[in-house]
Amino acid sequence: MTLRRLGAILSAVVLVAAVSVPLALASRSGAPESESQSTSQDQASPATAADILTQADLGRLLFFDKRLSGNNATSCSSCHLPDKAWTDGEALSTGYTSVEYFRNTPTLLNASKMPLLDWDGRFEGSDMATVVRDHIAEAHFMNLDGRLLVERMLQVPVYAESFERLFGSEASYGKVLNSIAAFLGTLESTDNPYIDFKAGDDAALTATEQAGLTLFEGKAGCSACHGGDLLSDGGLNVTGVPANPAIFSEPDRHITFRRFFKQFAVGNFADLRADPGRFALTHDEADRGSFRTPSLLEVARTAPYMHNGIFTTLEDVVRFYDAGGGDVPNKDERLLPLNLTDVEIRDLVAFLQRLGSDEPPFSAPEPSDLPPYELRTLGAN
Amino acid sequence: MPDRFNAVAILLIGGAAALIVASVVATVLIVASNDPSPVRTPVVERPVQSIRERVTPEQILALGFGVLPQVVMPPDNPATAEKIELGKILFFDPRMSANSAISCASCHQPDQGWGDGIALNFGYPGTPHWRNSQTILNSVFHPKLFWAGESLGLEKQAKSAWTGATAQNLDPVLAEERLLQMPGYVTRFNDVFGPGAPSFDNALRAVAAFESTIVSQNPPFDRYIDGDQSAVSDAALRGFELFSGQAGCSACHSGPLYTDQKFHALGVKDPVAFVEDPLRQITFYYQNRKRGVSEDDYRAAEGDLGLFYVTKLDDDRYKFRTPTLREVGQTGPYMHNGAFNTLQELVEFYNAGGGGVVNKSPLISPLGLDAGEVTDLVAFLESLTGDPLIVEQPELPKYEVLN
Repeated sequence: MTLRRLGAILSAVVLVAAVSVPLALASRSGAPESESQSTSQDQASPATAADILTQADLGRLLFFDKRLSGNNATSCSSCHLPDKAWTDGEALSTGYTSVEYFRNTPTLLNASKMPLLDWDGRFEGSDMATVVRDHIAEAHFMNLDGRLLVERMLQVPVYAESFERLFGSEASYGKVLNSIAAFLGTLESTDNPYIDFKAGDDAALTATEQAGLTLFEGKAGCSACHGGDLLSDGGLNVTGVPANPAIFSEPDRHITFRRFFKQFAVGNFADLRADPGRFALTHDEADRGSFRTPSLLEVARTAPYMHNGIFTTLEDVVRFYDAGGGDVPNKDERLLPLNLTDVEIRDLVAFLQRLGSDEPPFSAPEPSDLPPYELRTLGAN
Repeated sequence: MPDRFNAVAILLIGGAAALIVASVVATVLIVASNDPSPVRTPVVERPVQSIRERVTPEQILALGFGVLPQVVMPPDNPATAEKIELGKILFFDPRMSANSAISCASCHQPDQGWGDGIALNFGYPGTPHWRNSQTILNSVFHPKLFWAGESLGLEKQAKSAWTGATAQNLDPVLAEERLLQMPGYVTRFNDVFGPGAPSFDNALRAVAAFESTIVSQNPPFDRYIDGDQSAVSDAALRGFELFSGQAGCSACHSGPLYTDQKFHALGVKDPVAFVEDPLRQITFYYQNRKRGVSEDDYRAAEGDLGLFYVTKLDDDRYKFRTPTLREVGQTGPYMHNGAFNTLQELVEFYNAGGGGVVNKSPLISPLGLDAGEVTDLVAFLESLTGDPLIVEQPELPKYEVLN
């Protein structure tokens, strides 16, 4: 544990005490805590039920609401930041308070369209509600009991009314998941210069970028896996990406790593010093180190790269493939040294830079936009 | 003058004693006629002159009270010095909570009588607790723990606290991997439980072993029973006489632990926080859901249903466990929701005949104690309180890089 972390924990303890004790005192003295809370939020005009027209509208607010985590400290947007193309910009994710994760935060743009999700492909884009459930419930992410989640929803009248109106019945765990899934379905990025170029707009890409595209589809062979509308084959491949030593040199990450693979019944999980990837699900040696092929749409905004964020720049990634990938026995046979020149690497990177839209398509609500807790009438719940 | 004054005083005391004895006998007769519970009072053949002659160690023992028995651990968890030490370290380790910020000692503070000194425990961030934190002192002697007896022993209580959403909220496998990341723990687990990675179940055993050592430290009333006449005041002894007589306390607070280990409805009011604090409401409704009450009961829930959550029997609504009175002087606020801040308030509550509630115990009715008697009763309760048992936080093992 670093001193910084210890400091953070101590502050958390002080905060708990500082918040809880006055709360308890305020309750005893008869001053409703909700009044002071809603006073500050009234000035900032939180969303009302009238602002929530669709399940996706509701899901959008929930996505940014920290009350969806066990200790009210983490929202979906803590790791999926809109201004970082719905990633966190870190090599390895952080997680719940005092937890560090061992994989890179993938973008949510186009996630609903992907056949497989998460780096080991254990989720499906067609079932985003299950992805959301995993992340809310997991001890290393948001760590929230589903029954507690429902009570928190019912304690926010704007949410409670919206669930009733949009779903026809009272808020439930499943409705929370479906609302957020509906919002995630709106996170798309399909408009970029590459698509314009393919559609016939020759001016959409520069000569350098066009040279990069030629390499992408030809000599460099990228499109063998990164093809199609999403620039991904939707499957899993072994490329031999080197292990990220931080997972094992930072105790908080190593703890999370071991717990994860222990729960997937991976043998000798304590001895692992590389992420076994898909192997955890199949226990098939051929899948050791196999990871999902990510979409390259918006790739310029989603650094660092690979399942463990081991590469900081697109040039790092291209040079990795230029060298024929990593050194593992079950590596995909299509990965061979490419013998690209420095100019070709530059062209390829220039092309990859143009796979994104001009501006982030979504913005974030302010914390003050989130509707507050209010009181329920005991006996008439 | 002094002689005459003494004579008058003796006469007055003697007269008062005779009155008390008469009222005790009358109470016994009345109670005995319709109550099968084992209320016993000193059977006094003749008026005696002194409270110290009326309340002797022998009589106290004859009424079923006494000093604490030997600690008996479960057969699968014998306590050893090494296990107790490991349990002590775990007890103080905040990494045994999901956010690494809350240890057992956060809610069971040695200098707060191993409770937390506030009415309703603060629980977990965002999910404040709905009940009062109970003392660890003497908890090893109780067959059932928690306010509604939800937990059958220290090991199970520790599991509920470490994993509960309103407590430490910790995933057991995460706990195991955190422990494995600290060689200082691994060595101790191996010494106590044999080779292998630290397991959550063994952590429960160790912390239970430590808690079994948190017992009363020489309270004055125990010393009096052991023959130390100077240990308690006359007021405390008069209080005991009321406790085991007119006030009827010992109908439930019986034996060396001053508890019948049963459950009773007293009509203690639910906390205003259930009405005025949205976070406590969330916890309150969550607890009702989690404990599996019917949909109707969940919708209509207005207060803590106590033992009903465990048995689902209507006759058990609003019943709570009789807590021990040992160490009661250092474990306020009192009752399952900390409704009373002082022992005086507590005694006044019973003196008024408790509150209004369905299933109210027939043992509770107005006592008619005067102010002096209330003071005496409080003095007795305080004499059940020994020296604070202060355990300093041990040095905690550190996370290390595992090669």
